[in-house]
Amino acid sequence: MRDLAVSASGLVKRFGERIAVNGVDIAVPRGQIYGVLGPNGAGKTTSLRMLLGIIEPDEGERTLLGSASPRDMSDRVGYLPEERGLYPNMKCREAIAFMGALRGLPWSVGRKRARDLLDSAGLGHAADDKIRKLSKGMAQLVQLLGSVVHAPDLLVLDEPFSGLDPVNQERLEQLIRAERDRGATVLFSTHVMAHAERLCEHISIIAGGTVRFEGTVDAARALLPARAQYTPRQDAPEIAAMLPPDALHEKGAWRFTVPEDGIESLLVQLIEAGHGISGLSIERPGLHDAFVRIVGADALADAQTEADA
Amino acid sequence: MSTARFLRQALTIARRDITATVMTPTFLLFLLSPLLMISFGVIGSMSATSAASSGEARQRLIVIAPDAQRERIVRIDRELRRVFTRDDVRPKLQVDRANGDSARQARALFDDAAIEPTAILYGPMERPTIVRRVGAKAEGRYLAVLAAQLLRAERAGDAVTSTPRFETVGREVPSESGKGQSAYFATLGIFFLTLMLSGQAVGAMAEERSNKVIEVLAAAVPLESVFFGKLLGAFGSALLFVGFWGTLLVNLPRLLPPDVAGFVSNLGVAVGPLFPLLFIGYFVMSYLLQSAVFLGVGSLASTQREIQMLSLPITIFQFAMFGLASYAAGNPQSQVAAVAAIVPFSSPMTMAARAATIPALWPHLLAFVWQALWVGITLTIAARLFRRGVLKSAGPKRRRKAPA
Repeated sequence: MRDLAVSASGLVKRFGERIAVNGVDIAVPRGQIYGVLGPNGAGKTTSLRMLLGIIEPDEGERTLLGSASPRDMSDRVGYLPEERGLYPNMKCREAIAFMGALRGLPWSVGRKRARDLLDSAGLGHAADDKIRKLSKGMAQLVQLLGSVVHAPDLLVLDEPFSGLDPVNQERLEQLIRAERDRGATVLFSTHVMAHAERLCEHISIIAGGTVRFEGTVDAARALLPARAQYTPRQDAPEIAAMLPPDALHEKGAWRFTVPEDGIESLLVQLIEAGHGISGLSIERPGLHDAFVRIVGADALADAQTEADA
Repeated sequence: MSTARFLRQALTIARRDITATVMTPTFLLFLLSPLLMISFGVIGSMSATSAASSGEARQRLIVIAPDAQRERIVRIDRELRRVFTRDDVRPKLQVDRANGDSARQARALFDDAAIEPTAILYGPMERPTIVRRVGAKAEGRYLAVLAAQLLRAERAGDAVTSTPRFETVGREVPSESGKGQSAYFATLGIFFLTLMLSGQAVGAMAEERSNKVIEVLAAAVPLESVFFGKLLGAFGSALLFVGFWGTLLVNLPRLLPPDVAGFVSNLGVAVGPLFPLLFIGYFVMSYLLQSAVFLGVGSLASTQREIQMLSLPITIFQFAMFGLASYAAGNPQSQVAAVAAIVPFSSPMTMAARAATIPALWPHLLAFVWQALWVGITLTIAARLFRRGVLKSAGPKRRRKAPA
């Protein structure tokens, strides 16, 4: 049995008539970065809240850091909620120390660690600034630092990249990797595939309150065949008959799905027919494509709208 | 979860709340708000007095008499003003020489635009005529007494017959009226403090919601800890307020003039030195009861407007409870007093008043147990409301499809 930081089976949550989460199973290995992906309203936040014990599931079981009672583990968990919240009149250092104190870290230790964390995140100059003076991105980073100040074994981040500019997104990615390198397990939700693709070892794709996929990023991408782009030395219309039926001709190049038995025999045929090879590239599908395939185009549109916003 | 951990989490939240409340200029304003209210009252009354005295400056009491009596009349007037109270508002005395037809002279004085005579005395002092304006009965009587004193002085001579020495004393044993006044002040004190301080709990909750901090708190600590932390935080600020004003009031008699200090020292209580402890105990009970209600209600409201709308009926209820307790304070042996002692929200005020008027201590023990039970019930209900109110799921965003 794998060493799991978080596990859940058959989680169900209803809000009145609406079923927000309908039988979610999750297994997050210790020491890894795990992504929960899904379009808006898929049930990601509700699932995370149930895993943390903020709300109780109507059905199902979950364990957090080996305990069936997640609230008992709260001092070993860091959490960044989707709706960011800080006291605007608190100084950055105090805000971080306060979040540590909530998780059992003495104030004096929290203040010292806060200073170090702010320095390492490039926010040392703002240590004694009040939160209301910070930009949205800086405030979000401060809250993230507050969620790691007590060196948690598990870090749960709900849509952490939302609202950050590219520079701060990069900082956040570095921080997540640093937490993983320290030995923490990182579980985060997102609907932006690029972050998950760069960071995650394992992912879970949720849509409509159910898990549609769980596994490695590579396994998700392997659900779709690779695509090839072939440029002949001598282009001719009869090439189309030799390529798979989905082949498209654009600007002297042919794009098509790589056959299940490989591309080698096809290339031999093309060379023997005298068309030669001027260029050839094989692209593995990205997580974005796998996500669209798994959850459907409607879900992608939702995700794209949100990402654009 | 262990009690120690629960307390540690609640105290962390309370500490943040107390710091956030106390370390602001607004708290200083809040602390001094009673002083500001008193100052505004004094300024208002001074303005009113000033407006009234501008008219009073022209008012006169006039005696039309021969020159030979003038000096004696002035001296007797001075002595009488020491005896009569409210002599500061009595018009000045003017002595006019009699010039024959005193009745006509008096009527002419009433028509004089430069002065405003309120009463005029003329004629022989044995049977003087006193004419006065409507409503100036006291001034008329004053001139009558002045005439009588003048006659006595003329007949007995001006020798001083008595030189009194005045002393102010307080009672060793509190009077019934003093105990009654203490009962009323105890009721008023608890009501005023609770009304002023318990409402802060609503504001504390509104802050969490507007800053969206509640989920951070809820993820880290149980909502019950958040609730009790908030309650403790607001209570800490309240204690600072009570401590500040309590210290000031305890030392007030030393600063007051002897007459006023004597009045304060007459405010006796039946239970003796235990009274301050009982008062604090009942204040704590009243505060916890009402703050729990405010906090529970505050968690249900998501905007300041909603909070105001929900607060109004609670404030009306608080005034109703004060009315009940005030009646009970004035009639401690009545059936209404028994009802007021049983109704949980009027019980602390009623029992504090009872401590001032009735010496028996065992009813207070009973009252504390009864009130603690209701504090427990109210806190449990409010904590549940809090749990339901503060973490409402936003639900999924529905995708709008473009019209075909």
